[in-house]
Amino acid sequence: MTTETLTKVERPAFETVRPVSRIEEMKHNLFKQKRQISLERAKLYTESYQQTVGEPTILRRAKATAHILDHVQISIRPGELIVGNRTVRPRSGILSPEMDPYWIMKEIDTIGTRPQDQFDFTKEDRDYYTANLLPYWTGKSMKDFINAKITPDVKAAEDDLVIKLNQTDKGQGHIIMDFPLILNNGIGKYLEIIDQKRAADPDNDFYQACEIIFKGMQRHFQRYADLARDMAADPATPDYRRVELTEMAAMCERLETDKPYSFYEALQLLWMTSIVAQYESNASSLSLGRMDQYMYPFYKNSKADGVPAKFLREVLGDFYLKTYDVVLLRSAESAKCFAGFPTGYTVALGGLDKYGQYSVNELSYKMLDLYQDIQLPQPNLSVRINEQIPRRFLNKTCETIRLGTGIPMIFNDEVCVPGFLSKGVSLDDARDYGVVGCVETTIPGKTYGLHDIALFNLMRVMEISMYELRDDKNLTYAKLRQRISDNIDKYVKIVTKGSDIVDLGHREFAPIPFLSSLISDCLDNGKDVTSGGARYNFSGVQGIGEPNLADSLYVIKKAVFENKELSFAKLIDLMESNYAGDDGEKLRQHFINDFHKYGNDDPEVDMECAKFFRHFALELGKYKNIRGGEFNAGAYTVSAHIPLGEDVGATPDGRKAHEQLADGGLSPMVGRDHLGPTAVLKSVSKIDNTLAVNGSLLNLKFAPNTLKGDAGIRKFADFLMAFTQLKIRHVQFNIQSRETLLDAQKHPENYGSLVVRVAGYSAFFVDLNKQIQDDIIRRTEHNL
Amino acid sequence: MIKKDPNKGLIFNIQRYSVHDGPGIRTIVFLQGCPLRCPWCCNPESQSVRPVTWVKNGKKETISHWMTADEVMDEIEKDEIFYRTSGGGVTLSGGECLMQADFGANILRQCKQLGISTAIETTGAMPLTEIQKVLPYTDYVMFDLKIMNPIRAKQVIGDNVAQVKASFEEALATPTARVMPRVPLIPGYTTVPKNLQQIADYVHEVGVKEIHILPFHQYGSSKYEYLNRTYTMKDTPLLTDQQVSDIHSFFEDQNIHAVVNGLE
Repeated sequence: MTTETLTKVERPAFETVRPVSRIEEMKHNLFKQKRQISLERAKLYTESYQQTVGEPTILRRAKATAHILDHVQISIRPGELIVGNRTVRPRSGILSPEMDPYWIMKEIDTIGTRPQDQFDFTKEDRDYYTANLLPYWTGKSMKDFINAKITPDVKAAEDDLVIKLNQTDKGQGHIIMDFPLILNNGIGKYLEIIDQKRAADPDNDFYQACEIIFKGMQRHFQRYADLARDMAADPATPDYRRVELTEMAAMCERLETDKPYSFYEALQLLWMTSIVAQYESNASSLSLGRMDQYMYPFYKNSKADGVPAKFLREVLGDFYLKTYDVVLLRSAESAKCFAGFPTGYTVALGGLDKYGQYSVNELSYKMLDLYQDIQLPQPNLSVRINEQIPRRFLNKTCETIRLGTGIPMIFNDEVCVPGFLSKGVSLDDARDYGVVGCVETTIPGKTYGLHDIALFNLMRVMEISMYELRDDKNLTYAKLRQRISDNIDKYVKIVTKGSDIVDLGHREFAPIPFLSSLISDCLDNGKDVTSGGARYNFSGVQGIGEPNLADSLYVIKKAVFENKELSFAKLIDLMESNYAGDDGEKLRQHFINDFHKYGNDDPEVDMECAKFFRHFALELGKYKNIRGGEFNAGAYTVSAHIPLGEDVGATPDGRKAHEQLADGGLSPMVGRDHLGPTAVLKSVSKIDNTLAVNGSLLNLKFAPNTLKGDAGIRKFADFLMAFTQLKIRHVQFNIQSRETLLDAQKHPENYGSLVVRVAGYSAFFVDLNKQIQDDIIRRTEHNL
Repeated sequence: MIKKDPNKGLIFNIQRYSVHDGPGIRTIVFLQGCPLRCPWCCNPESQSVRPVTWVKNGKKETISHWMTADEVMDEIEKDEIFYRTSGGGVTLSGGECLMQADFGANILRQCKQLGISTAIETTGAMPLTEIQKVLPYTDYVMFDLKIMNPIRAKQVIGDNVAQVKASFEEALATPTARVMPRVPLIPGYTTVPKNLQQIADYVHEVGVKEIHILPFHQYGSSKYEYLNRTYTMKDTPLLTDQQVSDIHSFFEDQNIHAVVNGLE
């Protein structure tokens, strides 16, 4: 029945001639106004919390979310086909003071002007925040809980600048809900399932919380239906828009209970599910998973019904634009590490199916095609590659990358699948992995993975170890290595402890019943993800600075211990002085130029990198988190190689104090690789990428002329096949000439739409601060 | 002086990830030594038959080194995986790689045994015996045709056109080798209409249907400074797109398919 009503109503909508291209109009509207902070969610959340004092946290959270869904201002913007805007004003930042009310207070006067990711914060809202929200949440937030629990050793490790705990001020995110589950059931059926569970276990608050939010979601749909109808009734509304609005109203009402049938309906329900989860946790990276796979049946339905390709494209375009409407308001420190709004609407295209076959369909191609036209930083598309990838799809992938926005990035099934198998994930589930955040992999619909729980600065560990040993007269290279390993072990233990405290904070303060209800096996065992309800329960800690560590140790090994050019004490003095004076600079150049560096396919230095990463990963793997899951190692920095570099003094690799560390995670240190991209891949392949279960990141920069023509695409695709065989986990590309980027720095006004790869995500070049822009420009350009 | 030692070669560069010099992703081994003296040479450091030092940014560097065949093979094999996925392989270049034909043949033969594609870039400016040493192991011959008038060729670059033609025809007669004539477009030298016509006539005469044309560039100019030598082409302007396009049409009009820069 659903089918018929839809196909009938859809047709007039796309047959009308619109004055401007819908996608262009909507894209334009997205950027018309400056980014602003919206206090609405914070106000409504607080309002609800004031009414639910004494109730269990999970019910208070559910009621607060439902309260937001019932009262948040809603809008349908010009041209929109899909409803659901997190804020009325596009690209507004929203606050979750229940997590951390303090950071915004500290930055209340600078957030409009800070170097990275500025937001307007109106005087009225600032006053309201100071007078009402801050006092209410002071002493009651998750941050307070975490701060009270932080043990002295964790605090000391933070003060040592070795570890950084993330997600202490906002939702966890980094998760992919079981979208196929909701799409194949519809809200009505899903509520029945929840009700059955509830009937069998009436005292379980989790089930009740799920029900509260799903019912809120139904009402939220109804609010949009009413709004659409009101707008349709407005005599000022043009006819073509009236048809659209009328259909949107009917569709919203259908979706309150029915499962979707058409592509349009499925996208609408998908987006609304995402929006509800956004209101619930205000988290980064509520990612979309394998969208080409689970959306394909709906796409096929619409095709079979004769819905024109143009309409399918427009509605998907609307969806794409919506993913860039959601921006994340971060603290200044966090914005340094995650600059330029990596909201994490990450999509993985292609890849293995459960039969072990490469799965690609018409929608996979269409999604890349559409991206080529829209070219915004979100959705952050990635392509899963393996030895079976059809050449046609690989070529399409290469053509899209060649546009230069860094999208899509590439993930290697040959590494990711065995990685998950090694962590006890079933074969079917491992083959179904998706991408969250920037470059973290997860099992969609089954994992609460805390993929971005902490950063671990390996270079600080090296530095601390060196200084500890400065007076050791009998120091050997082996002894130095041993000390670094021991200190890694010491801090790994502490970082797991710190991560567990944050984990517990989210359990106590921020259960996420709506999201949990779409993660197996929460409904079966009646537990929220934060309480360990998910099937897979990882925590991911990123080891940062491996390339610099390898380069530094190689210099120490050769210059100090083998060639005896200088004593270890003298080296430490040199570090301490930050290579002061002409002699210092001379030695620095000597260290840079006369010793092999990671990234040049030199097994000796590469293996030092490999050995320490392996040590770190295996040590981390010995620990279990409070949900019974394993700690997994990652090797990526996002943009944190800049702030984490600020924490490290001069190092023997010739890096001066506070300069950035190697970008990406596994990329060679900037300017230290000289033999081209094949040598880089060979170096990276020395590191057992399978151990980086949580994620790794490799940046490569190609000059545009390298990829020219059909031959350029062919060779690029061949290069990626070698990457696949070399068992490297991830790679992403910047294809912009140095000249273009330098010009964009000078004349930002001409480059408003220039999208570049930052880390596991892309951003507008002009949205990045100078430091990060310089970093991207400096990355070695492979140009032959 | 370069010896006829198949196990030892004088190398001035090994360049990985080359995507514009033959099929697939290639490693180019640059062999030292050249009998010609082209004024436009972009690798002037390659001309001497002895190891060369230059001064770059105030720093003295020895840029050519004797390497054993095993050492060169080790370098080549580093990118084996990329040759396999791309159908690429090794290109011997120079200098004039035929000056070390015994060594070159050894490298190429070993590559063929490993199933790695092989190519040479040559001017053919050596006795016929030299190209005969490498041809059995060479899949692609990128063969420079420069100045076709024997007197001019002798005067300007020290070339023996009869020898070049003999080597070229020997390559064409080798069934396992694909031969691609390449014409560097050097204003005032190779681009004079008469010379272009002689090239076209010759190409027709030997039955070749496709050539690559490589527009003049100035990439080598700083190397002359490092070598403390005068670069006489410094003020020669680059060809305009129109000029390149005209030359392209010149060949196409005579039913010779011309590919600019060898790129598709």
